[in-house]
Amino acid sequence: MTPTIAPSRPRPPGSARGGPPAGLPRLLPDGPVADRPSLARHLERLGPLPAPGGLVDQVDQAGLRGRGGAGFPTAVKLRAVRSAAGRRRPVVVANGTESEPLSHKDVTLLGHVPHLVLDGMVAAAVAVGAGRAVLCLKEGSGATAPVRRALVERSGLDPVDLEVVEVPARYVSGEESALVNHLNTGRALPTVTPPRPAQRGVGGRPTLVDNVETLANLALIARFGPSWWRSVGTTEDPGSMLVTVSGGVAHPGLQEVALGTPLPEILGRAGAGPAAGILVGGYFGTWLTPAQISGATFGWTGLAPLGAAPGCGALTVLPETCCPLAELSRVADWLAGQSAGQCGACTNGLPAIAGALARVVRGDPDGAALGLVRRWAAMVRGRGACKLPDGAVAFVLSGLEAFAPHLAVHRDGRGCGMTGHQALLPTPQWRTS
Amino acid sequence: MTLATTPLSVWYLMRGSGLVALILFSMTIGLGVVGVKRWQSSRWSRLVTAGLHRNVALLALCFLAIHVVTAVVDQFVGLGWLGVIVPFKSAYRPLWVGLGVVAFDIVLAVMATSLLRRHVRFRTWRLVHWGTWVMWPVALVHALGAGTDRVSFGLFVSLGCVALVGAAAVWRLIPDRAVPDRTTPPRPPARPLATARSSS
Repeated sequence: MTPTIAPSRPRPPGSARGGPPAGLPRLLPDGPVADRPSLARHLERLGPLPAPGGLVDQVDQAGLRGRGGAGFPTAVKLRAVRSAAGRRRPVVVANGTESEPLSHKDVTLLGHVPHLVLDGMVAAAVAVGAGRAVLCLKEGSGATAPVRRALVERSGLDPVDLEVVEVPARYVSGEESALVNHLNTGRALPTVTPPRPAQRGVGGRPTLVDNVETLANLALIARFGPSWWRSVGTTEDPGSMLVTVSGGVAHPGLQEVALGTPLPEILGRAGAGPAAGILVGGYFGTWLTPAQISGATFGWTGLAPLGAAPGCGALTVLPETCCPLAELSRVADWLAGQSAGQCGACTNGLPAIAGALARVVRGDPDGAALGLVRRWAAMVRGRGACKLPDGAVAFVLSGLEAFAPHLAVHRDGRGCGMTGHQALLPTPQWRTS
Repeated sequence: MTLATTPLSVWYLMRGSGLVALILFSMTIGLGVVGVKRWQSSRWSRLVTAGLHRNVALLALCFLAIHVVTAVVDQFVGLGWLGVIVPFKSAYRPLWVGLGVVAFDIVLAVMATSLLRRHVRFRTWRLVHWGTWVMWPVALVHALGAGTDRVSFGLFVSLGCVALVGAAAVWRLIPDRAVPDRTTPPRPPARPLATARSSS
């Protein structure tokens, strides 16, 4: 799937030329594609980054939450790093690894507006008193070339040193402690927290790890202020979010949507067909039924009653033409293979759960395998250095709930007749050395 | 105040719980060494060792709690609530009972750091945990010095515990063979692909 930017409404005349974008898109630029990532074009569109001051309070007033998946309040993280600074100058790490196979928003954002992300890194670094900001990308990322070109353009123009580092492709290598570990020791594997990176991170220094979309928003808040930033979205969930729509849709790709937008509207814009279920938030997310999403809005407030969250903003439509259990089983297998092999509950638990789930797909007349999935899921939850077990378990359990009717079809072992259909959910074969 | 004001059952309970706590703490130390040595077999996974180590320790704490409470309640000991923490304040055999208080203080520190394991540095936790190697002999001497069963079965129980913990200590001191590292081999810290130096 190649990410494309969904067509947006034409911008009213006179709103460009270094002013705050009116409406959406605001993170991604409107207008011609050519020459988009250049510094000159970037400055022409949004104007220069103003002299820093009071950014942390502005971010607090804006109510910006992290766009990497956890949705943590960004101002709280900024304050934690700033107050942990003491004698040691903090470091800023921009997380652009985007290990989530269902999301393309970070690589697209970096490819189109690398300077907006770099602006955010600079603004965050100045706000917490850091002298160094590192942008982490996945090995072989499509964003590497535009980011390198952008760094050449900015050489000697910023108050902090900017670097770009590639991280081995693996699901857990984008986890914040794994990034810090990679920068310190070359091993992109999660470590036990605490200490969190905000307390002791790169080189033992307090480290701010933020997703690149979060930092792009930071750069917009620094330029145009919190009240402009809140003009899009709802009071509880202000701002916009980049949403990767994939799966059974006519127009897969990226949309920048206001938080609070009805989910059917987002899916409708992408041309979604009849769905067996919708995965919200990527492989760390939650499966919902079409009935559940029919009245739901996209945002933390709108999804909380359904037990879901926007996560990294990936929306994946599973069409009615493929076997949801086979897809669930295949991805559970893949997630088990993404374990770093560090913690027992994950190394042993995830393959065991995936194995039992495969038996459920093949036929489980007495429900024994299903019982094992549920039992082991409860046992691995909350254990290990990172959240891989929790994410994998949430993926499997919410899927079993959403696809409960389909589960009955498989019970007697005759299957649904769609099990052998072409795989839909991506499971990239990374070289996990 | 004399013993007459406290029921005799309290004394029995104090002796019994102290002796059981000694056995359970000895087992905890043995299980801890089994865990550190990473010993396992096809029928005994390391999860079992870890779970038993924790649960036997918690059980030992329960018996220790009974032991301490009865020691305060039994007015013949003359310990008082402050004496539970501050050693050598008892009326009865202050030195021997005081050693028990010292051991109890170490147990409290080990328990606190283990319950707060995620909030304490690993080094701090390990240093405090090593305190059990001081706690156990002190507790044993307390049992032999303050206990009233040292010439009867209490002695045999103590000897059994000494054998168990002694064997564990010897095993602990035998150097480990190097375990092959199955995780990613260490690489040099990540090098940047590109940098943009600051204006200053």
